[in-house]
Amino acid sequence: MSVDRDAARVPIAPMHDAGVIDAARREMRDLAPDNARFGVAGVGLPPRDATTYYEQPLLKKPHWEWEVIVYLFLGGIMGGSGILTALADEHGEDAELGRNARYVAFALASTCPVVLIKHLGRPERFLNMLRIVKFKSVMSMGVWGLIAFSLPATAGATAQAARDGLLPKQLRFLRFVGPRAITNPLSAILGAFIAGYTGVLLSATAIPVWAKGKRHIPAMSACSGIAGACALNALLLEIGGNPNPVTRRRLERLELVASLAEAAVILDFRRHAGTIGDPFFVSKHGRKMEIATLLGGIVVPSLLGLLPFHAKWKTSLGSTLTLVGGYVLRETLIEAGKDSADDPRAASRQPE
Amino acid sequence: MATGFFTDTTICIGCKACEVACKQWNQLPGDGYAFTGNSYDNTVALGATTWRHVAFVEQMAPPEEPVGTSRWLMMSDVCKHCTNAGCLEACPTGAIVRNEFDDVFIQPDICNGCGYCVPSCPFGVVDLIGHADYPATRSFESDGRSTDDALQKHGGIAGKCTLCYDRQKDGLVPACAKACPTESIHFGDVDELKDQARQRVATLRASGVDAYLYGVDEDTSVGDLNAFFLLTDAPGKYNLPERPVLPSTHQRAGYTSAAIAAAALTLVGFALFRATK
Ligand code: SF4
Ligand code: SF4
Ligand code: SF4
Repeated sequence: MSVDRDAARVPIAPMHDAGVIDAARREMRDLAPDNARFGVAGVGLPPRDATTYYEQPLLKKPHWEWEVIVYLFLGGIMGGSGILTALADEHGEDAELGRNARYVAFALASTCPVVLIKHLGRPERFLNMLRIVKFKSVMSMGVWGLIAFSLPATAGATAQAARDGLLPKQLRFLRFVGPRAITNPLSAILGAFIAGYTGVLLSATAIPVWAKGKRHIPAMSACSGIAGACALNALLLEIGGNPNPVTRRRLERLELVASLAEAAVILDFRRHAGTIGDPFFVSKHGRKMEIATLLGGIVVPSLLGLLPFHAKWKTSLGSTLTLVGGYVLRETLIEAGKDSADDPRAASRQPE
Repeated sequence: MATGFFTDTTICIGCKACEVACKQWNQLPGDGYAFTGNSYDNTVALGATTWRHVAFVEQMAPPEEPVGTSRWLMMSDVCKHCTNAGCLEACPTGAIVRNEFDDVFIQPDICNGCGYCVPSCPFGVVDLIGHADYPATRSFESDGRSTDDALQKHGGIAGKCTLCYDRQKDGLVPACAKACPTESIHFGDVDELKDQARQRVATLRASGVDAYLYGVDEDTSVGDLNAFFLLTDAPGKYNLPERPVLPSTHQRAGYTSAAIAAAALTLVGFALFRATK
């Protein structure tokens, strides 16, 4: 069967003809003048000189949810409590504080791995962290720091429990496993590392707002951790009955200094970060952080501390607000990191 | 020998054979049927199970300009297999290694899904594979082990281009390079690829095309890329960073400032606890 080739031939517009294309483009522009700047088809393509790729994110968001926020928060308090064990004058007024801080450090050192395991999904996965020691990886350093911290924390708390008569008679000898002269300074040094590294963990990434805060975020984490530890321990002393007023004043003053330092670092970060800091400061998370951390967690407790009288409610309220502020600070850091990853402009010229 | 890719975007025709070949060989699940309206790019970005992504940049001239000034840029993006790889440095388990071909490889049976590599890649490449995205049949031929258990039951693990480690071990060219009909994707020894690429840039420049190499002779902390690109417009237009920074370079400042803050407060605390009555 033969084909009628002529009948089958479709007339094809000479698209290589500049005149035809120009005519089509003019027609398009007349049909949709508003879209003319978008080019020929007027279908909403970005302008030719667009600097981003369809506003698509350049970086990937961290997949970190409440587990990591809780871990950063508890890690700070745990580290701060380690420091408090060394500061407390154990043979004087602060005996109660030293005892509490040791229990807090131990309790949190036991809780943190559980939170991390929840984040990873199942227990065996935590073991993979222990395959290697890697100085280049902040997360590896943090895990080993946590394990190292848990040694003096456990020894100190065990000895304390033996001294407090909380252990059965046969185990009373355990009071010798944790001489305070050793466990306290070790807890302080490793605790300082833990409180600060949670900030380095964030700032040693490509996320613009975190990387921009390479000096500020670690410092604010350390300050917030120490302030949180003072707050929690003051609260526990208050709950435990009549705290020694000298210890209470000491904790209040250290908390005041740490909180003010934290506020100074946060405000300096705002100045330093410019628009890259917007996800942290100028956003709905930022608003929450300003109210819960700066105002509620720092200004209000500081003012409460200045009131010239003592009351149980005063310490309890101030401490609780400080703790809430510390949590919101970590939450804001994580959420701001996610938003920052979505900004292709900030991610293009990455903070050095 | 270091192997890598030289992706010459000037001869890419946007056929996406590379994307398909990668998905097929590596048994990666599909990305669904989204319609973005962003030119022909419905893949959108590289991801945990999308290891090649073809970007389409339409630069249409306004009607006043003469014909021939419009451009349609296409670029097949991939993991850069960086000389200084942020993902590799960040990984706490040692799952991410540099293999015998000098490529950055994630060992699926070691990764525990911590997710720290994800924000540590300055190019936004690696991501976590959620267990739900993965077909039960997926196996990792390259190391002879199946990680179905890890994937199916508990959270994800990290995923990105392996530079077809398994194919390379058998002396085969990676699937994307094999499938590319225009040889836009060249695979081979990185040094030879760089020579080839420099010649190609010279040829293009001689004919008036403003071409340059992205990831060769870089002065950034990330350094050169084993998978580098020949581009004809600013990196940002293809969603590549103008200036990537290696995240670990922030560590020194971070640890120092944390140590100063903690030490200062401890000293203040020491003074307060001794002085306060
Ligand atoms: S591009 Fe990202 S995922 Fe690929 S090697 Fe470099 S840092 Fe790792
Ligand atoms: S998610 Fe896996 S590959 Fe990525 S850093 Fe964690 S252990 Fe390493
Ligand atoms: S297979 Fe080659 S030509 Fe086709 S989209 Fe990929 S790189 Fe471009």
